[in-house]
Amino acid sequence: MLELLPALNDHNLPWMDTIHPIVVHFVIAMGLISFVFDLIGVIFRRSALFEVSFWNLLFATAAIFVAIIFGQVEAGLANPYGASRDILNLHSTIGWSLSGVLSLMSAWRYVIRSKDPQRLPLPFLGAGGLLSALIVVQVTLGNQLIWVYGLHTVPVVQAMRAGLV
Amino acid sequence: MEGAALFIPAGSPIEQLAADLGPNGLPYGLPIHPNLVHLTIGLFVIAIAFDIAGALYPVEKRVFRFLALPVTRGGFHDVGWYNLLACSVVTFFTVAAGFFEMLLAVPVPGVTSSIGLQSMETMLWHGVGGVVILLVIVAMTVWRGYQRFRWRKDMGRQVQWLYLLVGLGLFLVIGLHGTLGAELAAEFGVHVTADQLLAAGADLNEALP
Repeated sequence: MLELLPALNDHNLPWMDTIHPIVVHFVIAMGLISFVFDLIGVIFRRSALFEVSFWNLLFATAAIFVAIIFGQVEAGLANPYGASRDILNLHSTIGWSLSGVLSLMSAWRYVIRSKDPQRLPLPFLGAGGLLSALIVVQVTLGNQLIWVYGLHTVPVVQAMRAGLV
Repeated sequence: MEGAALFIPAGSPIEQLAADLGPNGLPYGLPIHPNLVHLTIGLFVIAIAFDIAGALYPVEKRVFRFLALPVTRGGFHDVGWYNLLACSVVTFFTVAAGFFEMLLAVPVPGVTSSIGLQSMETMLWHGVGGVVILLVIVAMTVWRGYQRFRWRKDMGRQVQWLYLLVGLGLFLVIGLHGTLGAELAAEFGVHVTADQLLAAGADLNEALP
């Protein structure tokens, strides 16, 4: 059965390069900008920005599920070593949790928008701030996996296959 | 020394800063440029995508009615405008951070990337390409602004088809450009601590427990 799976390249991936970091562009950028636009909208009373925030939040929510799918496949092929094992576990746990948090916030936002699209309750703004903080933590963990531990980079994969790691 | 230019000295100028740099070749732990790239690419792609959704609104409005999701065409174009504006602002910092970190780059020697370029060629293309993309994004923001506030102010479809086409064209350029950037990290090991340690002959089991 295993021979039916595609061969792995020098990144230890069945495709050219990691896809997860590309998909997360949309979770990170849309999640953070949603909060920034909400903040500007509240402070400068620009309610048009609330609509922009709503769509960005909805898109971040859709994107995170795609990010998780690729993240799980690539995590499964990452062969983490040393402390990167714990970081990857934490990154996976927060990633799944973020999908729940984003879904709940999208639903909450949908109700707010249905009631009065011109106003944004302050509790939602607070929740947006917490969401942004959670995204920053998650990004930092992901950064450590690639920029410190070099998972899926060619030199680390080479060292791994040579039994050096 | 056959083929090597005589003006190239033996030591690298980065040695002047060696005492201030960590094992990843940066004065801080995690590179900044790739994180700002998330914002540049995410904001640009979604800006164009929502302007396309706004332009094709007459086709898709039945779908939104079916989903019972109240939607306005102007709302889609607002996303197209504000996301692009934010992208323009952020991208100056993306490019600045990119140049700072590329000046400190020490690629793993003797590597040819999967698209057949060596490290210096990859960095030159990625550096010049970054500036060109910034220029195009800013020009498109000005163009988008004229469409929104002057030329198409009273029209339902706020953007020209040509604008959307140029946006889609830039998707391709950004895709290629991003591939070069990804190769700098994942193949040339630029600013990747583990790769730099391996290139220096360290044992990762001891150096990165």
